[in-house]
Amino acid sequence: MAPDPNSSGGTSSGSRNEANVKVPAKDPKKKDDKKDEDLSDEDLALKQQLELYVERVQDADPGLQKVALESMSSSSASPRIELSGEGELFSSGEIHSGRVQEIRTSTSSMTSVPKPLKFLRPHYGTLKAYYETMADSDLKFSFIRNLAGEIAQEYAKRQSEEGPIEDLMELVQQIVAFHMKHNAEPEAVDLLMEVEDLDLLVEHVDRTNFKRTCLYLTSSARYLPGPDDMLVLDIAYMIYMKFEEFTNALQIALFLDNVQQYIRQVFATCEDLQQKKQFCYILARHDGRIKDGVVVVVGVAFVLDEETAKDDDDREVLQDIINNAKLSEGYLNLARDIEVMEAKTPEDIYKAHLLDGRASAGASVDSARQNLAATFVNAFVNAGFGQDKLMTVPSDSSSGGASGNWLFKNKEHGKTSAAASLGMILLWDVDSGLAQIDKYFHSNDNHVIAGALLGVGIVNCSIKNDCDPALALLSDYVDKEDPSIRIGAIMGLGITYAGTGNEQLRYKLSSILNDAKAPPDVIAFTAISLGLIFVGSCNEEVAQAIIFALMDRNESELGEPLTRLLPLSLGLLYLGKQDSVEATAEVSKTFHEKIRKHTDMVLLSCAYAGTGNVLKVQHLLTQCSEHLDKSETHQGPAVLGIAMVAMAEELGLEMAIRSLEHLLQYGEQNIRRAVPLALGLLCISNPKVNVMDTLSRLSHDTDSEVAMAAVISLGLIGAGTNNARIAGMLRNLSSYYYKDASLLFCVRIAQGLVHLGKGLLTLNPYHSERFLLSPTALAGIITMLHACLDLKAIILGKYHYVLYFLVLAMQPRMLMTVDENLKPLSVPVRVGQAVDVVGQAGRPKTITGFQTHSTPVLLAAGDRAELATEKYIPLSPILEGFVILKENPDFREDN
Amino acid sequence: MGQGTPGGLNRQGLPGDRKPDGNDKKEKKFEPAAPPARVGRKQRKQKGPEAAARRPTVTPLTKCKLRLLKLERIKDYLLMEEEFVTNQERLKPQEEKAEEDRSKVDDLRGSPMSVGNLEELIDENHAIVSSSVGPEYYVGILSFVDKDQLEPGCAILMHNKVLSVVGLLQDEVDPMVSVMKVEKAPLESYADIGGLDAQIQEIKEAVELPLTHPELYEDIGIKPPKGVILYGEPGTGKTLLAKAVANSTSATFLRVVGSELIQKYLGDGPKLVRELFRVADDLSPSIVFIDEIDAVGTKRYEAHSGGEREIQRTMLELLNQLDGFDSRGDVKVILATNRIESLDPALLRPGRIDRKIEFPLPDIKTRRRIFQIHTSRMTLADDVNLEEFVMTKDEFSGADIKAICTEAGLLALRERRMKVTHTDFKKAKEKVMFKKKEGVPEGLYM
Repeated sequence: MAPDPNSSGGTSSGSRNEANVKVPAKDPKKKDDKKDEDLSDEDLALKQQLELYVERVQDADPGLQKVALESMSSSSASPRIELSGEGELFSSGEIHSGRVQEIRTSTSSMTSVPKPLKFLRPHYGTLKAYYETMADSDLKFSFIRNLAGEIAQEYAKRQSEEGPIEDLMELVQQIVAFHMKHNAEPEAVDLLMEVEDLDLLVEHVDRTNFKRTCLYLTSSARYLPGPDDMLVLDIAYMIYMKFEEFTNALQIALFLDNVQQYIRQVFATCEDLQQKKQFCYILARHDGRIKDGVVVVVGVAFVLDEETAKDDDDREVLQDIINNAKLSEGYLNLARDIEVMEAKTPEDIYKAHLLDGRASAGASVDSARQNLAATFVNAFVNAGFGQDKLMTVPSDSSSGGASGNWLFKNKEHGKTSAAASLGMILLWDVDSGLAQIDKYFHSNDNHVIAGALLGVGIVNCSIKNDCDPALALLSDYVDKEDPSIRIGAIMGLGITYAGTGNEQLRYKLSSILNDAKAPPDVIAFTAISLGLIFVGSCNEEVAQAIIFALMDRNESELGEPLTRLLPLSLGLLYLGKQDSVEATAEVSKTFHEKIRKHTDMVLLSCAYAGTGNVLKVQHLLTQCSEHLDKSETHQGPAVLGIAMVAMAEELGLEMAIRSLEHLLQYGEQNIRRAVPLALGLLCISNPKVNVMDTLSRLSHDTDSEVAMAAVISLGLIGAGTNNARIAGMLRNLSSYYYKDASLLFCVRIAQGLVHLGKGLLTLNPYHSERFLLSPTALAGIITMLHACLDLKAIILGKYHYVLYFLVLAMQPRMLMTVDENLKPLSVPVRVGQAVDVVGQAGRPKTITGFQTHSTPVLLAAGDRAELATEKYIPLSPILEGFVILKENPDFREDN
Repeated sequence: MGQGTPGGLNRQGLPGDRKPDGNDKKEKKFEPAAPPARVGRKQRKQKGPEAAARRPTVTPLTKCKLRLLKLERIKDYLLMEEEFVTNQERLKPQEEKAEEDRSKVDDLRGSPMSVGNLEELIDENHAIVSSSVGPEYYVGILSFVDKDQLEPGCAILMHNKVLSVVGLLQDEVDPMVSVMKVEKAPLESYADIGGLDAQIQEIKEAVELPLTHPELYEDIGIKPPKGVILYGEPGTGKTLLAKAVANSTSATFLRVVGSELIQKYLGDGPKLVRELFRVADDLSPSIVFIDEIDAVGTKRYEAHSGGEREIQRTMLELLNQLDGFDSRGDVKVILATNRIESLDPALLRPGRIDRKIEFPLPDIKTRRRIFQIHTSRMTLADDVNLEEFVMTKDEFSGADIKAICTEAGLLALRERRMKVTHTDFKKAKEKVMFKKKEGVPEGLYM
């Protein structure tokens, strides 16, 4: 070891070391073995040196203290500190050549950092005692970081021994203050988490570091167990409120689902009307609705009262925003800007001319199926554009109009989907939508009427109009005789009022559930509509109604394919509500054994959807590890459940994909059929290459149902992306399966999904940089996926219109900037791949590989945008959907 | 799918053709395997044994609670996977069936199998192969061969009669390279190095620390150095330091001598360099140590012979591997030479070799340390005064000191003494210095 010639203590320690060096190194390998008590000479020397320093610290002479402490901190500090602290230490001027050597000696132990600390541990008490008496000097800062780790351990020890902690907390206070001042927010947060006193953080953050701190807190929350995560988010919320970052605060409030207190507080505290408009945009994306001045966010309501908006006009503006009244306008604006207004025919999507000549022979398949597929493709591709080439062709071209012709190219239940597709095409455009659908109400074909009813529901999806046209139109038909009309009306209501918790509808629909004479399919759709309307509300009465309906079914009815929607609707009531499901789960144990386990799985997976709870994943995985006979149906929902729970965060998502691979390998057919769907849910609208490859492999599976599910999932993962690779795969599949009508139908649907809204829409239920989960969107997707678990009976049977449940998840994947008068405003923005910057010091780049566009722009999965001009200030830090821009008062043109 | 099939030759058309219309499943015996996800083109292997087994990357790199939590989350999932897989394996004992299958596969493969080279993939089931002897053949690929791993240029196993592809040789690593891997760590550790503190620190910062604590460099916002060159007079401890690095690191350590890179055949040298770095990349984090780099790295002059040109090409490949188009991840390079002035400047430019570490002749303090190290295991008589040698004006290298100690020990042995005396050392020193100065006795002309 290097002697320390300049300090009086140094010489003695130096000579001691030399004595040690002479001891021959018996076994150099031992050095690496940290557990070995038999220390190598190097370590021994270090230990002795440290002991010496500890003695010296307590010396009376302050000069000596200083030297000793410095030496110790340098040799016991982690390398991180040495690199960052070195400059600071050197600059103090008193550092002599001995210091340099000290640092060198300690670098020799860089690769085994904890060692010096380990030796220091026995002296911890003395050091601490000294530390408290030490005068406030710069020196202690270099020393502080080491202590932080020790304190955490000491705290844990004292907690278990129930010793006093006051003295520790005092230390913690100082350390946190130090960390926060020196750009080490993660360390401060970590320490406070260890000592379970995050409240302290609020005092210590300031303007320069609160953003980084909050970012760290929010991303940690995803991975923290139990109540801790809520606590952490609470703190983040408080910090955001303290610094008046209301938009962020609102997002956390939405995540916490704390409507009554937090959201209200955000609205009450914020003075700026523009800011409030931005809030409303976020609420609208998160499926908030306003009804008579009451904001309903997924079942829970709060009043948009005097406090919130002083002026009636203002309140109306806010209402309009939150009602999504301008959604259609904005979407069409985007479409015009990107120049995709031109309607597309299904043939434009199939691109049959790119295949070898054989594909044209495909016409031999039964054409009703083909036409139905074309109907769906047409609806998905032209969704929201208000025009297409099948349904809305101007009727004056020939008498009766081509639209009528197309409608009647479908047979029976096919007409329902065809009529409803008009609703999809006119999505979000209530006025013209209702006008165009109106003519079908007077049809004398029950299927057409049913389709028109469903269409009305789809048009109004996520839009709220003051006069409630959907309710007025549909409620009359709910009690009609014909089951298909009833289903159309009920499903329409479910889609329109999803997440509103509308009491009026509860009375109306619950009565159908109690009706013993109602056919089973009507019951199933009623239940699912109730589930959607009261999604995540934990509404007791609805739950009761569905439970009774389930209990009333006899064994043969329980075997019906659509019956699987009943447990699902029960699950939807508790979507993401975690523990609240328990009472109902208990009740479900009394169900008929045929459905008992199924219900159990559905309830569990829904209740923990989007939580990332590992224990639940484990539970579901255990369920999947059993090999059962064919009649059991609960494993499919369990597989979907894994995806639902794990989709919460990126890591879980990727690991779940791995787990699903194992399920494929070992699982029985019923599991294998669900795996592609689970993959589809995990990567919805996010075509990851590895998942794409897996699905492409499965799409050639020997089991046709696995292949069908894989094909549909290919559509889901590419939904709204126009992904050329998936499109190519599907094209090839269409020629591969050209003789198999069912598979071809699935391929067509998938093609339609890939080009959803001509690539302007997304199905991803996550928004705001993957932080918030829109429950209605998720509900819509899982309803459709559960239906896909029995593809042959439901989608390929006569209930293909369950595909329209996907409309609940459709959102434009755009960034639209508007000025303070909510008029579109084109500004340059940089769009690129988002980079995870959590816990990084300084101002790291948040996006990489960016391109500059002018708004409105499309955002792909994993993309992030930032303004490329300083002329405006966005009112929301997250540039997604509608963002209001404010002029920057400090902006000056350069030239 | 997608490839055009050469007419007439193959028995299979596009799979759709074979389907009996409508009612499939029952009658069909053989379902063609799904086409491989990708045909042709070299697939860059992702790190680790399999791409599928990759774990997601975890950010931030800084050691903090968030990172811990994230890693724990991954661990949880891995544990679940393990639990699931062990359960399944227990439930489904497949040994017997596997055994049966294996023997069937062995039958199909035949024995012996000949080793060949895959020239080109035609479609999913056909390829053009060549063996070392003769012409190229158009042959079938058996269904049990993992087609995802086939790529043009790989070594394959062929049936001895029909020459169809029956397997592929996984490990395409040049055996020359696998020898270079240091399996057993050398015994020399940092404690065995006298002095050289600055050099040790530099090499640690440049080589070890980036592998063990990459986050430190990220925090500061710099890219860690890619490599170092150690230079200095003979016997100053360059190789010793490299050994010590190999001893202390847990990274893969590949060591090569510059002369090994010179091969008999044209193109073999550069190929070896490529292989070396590819293996290093596969086994990363790793450290590549090239001793006596002057064997290949000398300045480029007009080359007179093919041999010289070949050596230069080897160096050019080395240049490319050090800082070329493909980025090297966790591969650090240590070069050693005692003639740095003769090396090509392109080799030493920053970005390739960022740090040049000089090994000077030991100063007095270092000399004392080296003497201590070498004499620590010797039995010395009481009269030995090492200070005399330490303080001498002669220029010793570390190796000289070692030679003196050994020589002194030998002298003592010659006289059957149990202890080494001061005179032994004196004589030994004279002897060593005499040899070093090529016959000029010490102090003669001073």
